[in-house]
Amino acid sequence: MSQEFDPRERQTLGEREASDLPPSLLAEVVAARRPVSLSSQVEARVMAAVRRRAASPRYSAWHWFTAPSVPPWALLAAAAVVLALVLLRPAPVGSPGAASPLAAAAGPESVYVRFILVAPNARQVALAGTFNSWDPAAAPLVRAGAEGTWTVTVALPVGQHQYSFIVDGRRWVPDPAAPAVDDGFGRRNSVVSVSAAQGRVL
Amino acid sequence: MRRSSAFVALVLLCGPGLAAQVGVSARLAGRVPPAVATAVSALVDSARTRGLPGAPLVDKALEGAVKGVPTDRILTAVRTVLEQLDASASAQRAAGSLAPGDDAIEAGAFALAAGLTPADVGAIARSADPTHPTAVALQVAGALAALGVPRAETVGLVRASIRSGQPVGDLVSLPGQVQAAMARGALPAAAAAGLERAAAHQAPQPHGQGKGRDNPHKP
Repeated sequence: MSQEFDPRERQTLGEREASDLPPSLLAEVVAARRPVSLSSQVEARVMAAVRRRAASPRYSAWHWFTAPSVPPWALLAAAAVVLALVLLRPAPVGSPGAASPLAAAAGPESVYVRFILVAPNARQVALAGTFNSWDPAAAPLVRAGAEGTWTVTVALPVGQHQYSFIVDGRRWVPDPAAPAVDDGFGRRNSVVSVSAAQGRVL
Repeated sequence: MRRSSAFVALVLLCGPGLAAQVGVSARLAGRVPPAVATAVSALVDSARTRGLPGAPLVDKALEGAVKGVPTDRILTAVRTVLEQLDASASAQRAAGSLAPGDDAIEAGAFALAAGLTPADVGAIARSADPTHPTAVALQVAGALAALGVPRAETVGLVRASIRSGQPVGDLVSLPGQVQAAMARGALPAAAAAGLERAAAHQAPQPHGQGKGRDNPHKP
């Protein structure tokens, strides 16, 4: 959000329901949540660069060295070891979206979505939802300036996702600018739906 | 053989069932109480035998645990999700979709959680067509209901948008349009009714067919 808030509006912010926000501010927040649009030429340029690198003699030599042929018995042995590691793995592995969202690139079926919460008194804010297995550590928000606005941009796969903000590690706060549904536990979850159609967010 | 062949062999060795079971256990291990993990794994198996997706059950269990909810309430919520998935699939089958996909079932369950009824889900599923998939239509309907649009207006708006023949992007944009109207002070029902009138105005008038006819390719 590049536009400065009116001081009177800033006083009314905090973690309120959408109906409590001034219309002008709600419209601004809704606009800010729209996905970041990339030119279709970006993908073409990236793929062209990848193909140039793959075709280079240096890369081909390195690829041959790192992916040599192996006999079938070695393949089966390796598969057995990997299977054992999978079965004996002690720690859970999150869903594909569990990695740091800022580090993860959006795949062809993903759209970058920016989440914003205005919480002037918060010391830390995080984003947890179905896209990161509700991991409170997966997507911390960063404070954008001194205005109490917190934000994070996440690559979300196409589909529907429920989420909530976590303020100061203990308070679950729904997104005031998004639709919300009962979470089954007495609270509300916010909802974001990402469509492949023109990279839209509902 | 290259590494890609090794991955294929590994998948064949594991088998889809084992891999899925390992996936559920791995996602739950250490994050929910053991009793919850055992019960949810059984519910996921039950869901799969009925052709329902299991991931929403795991997600709900993880959500309950991270929110500090007691075990019995977590399991109650997970069972509620399973019931919604079941009701969603049944409604879509009754509407003529013999094998609804996971995404359509999940979208229908969300629409039910947002306040729609199985009859509403069926009505929207009947209106869907290849260019306006059931999953997308139900996601839009759920989002509209979650915004506070009443059931009748939600179903009417989604069906009118599909009938209008406009691109699916127009359908997807409906919740945003309702939100924008609400930001200008409109009530959800009035905003949806206005959009429905606009969509109906754009709908083609086929020869010999009444306005508002459902998708003729579905029973």
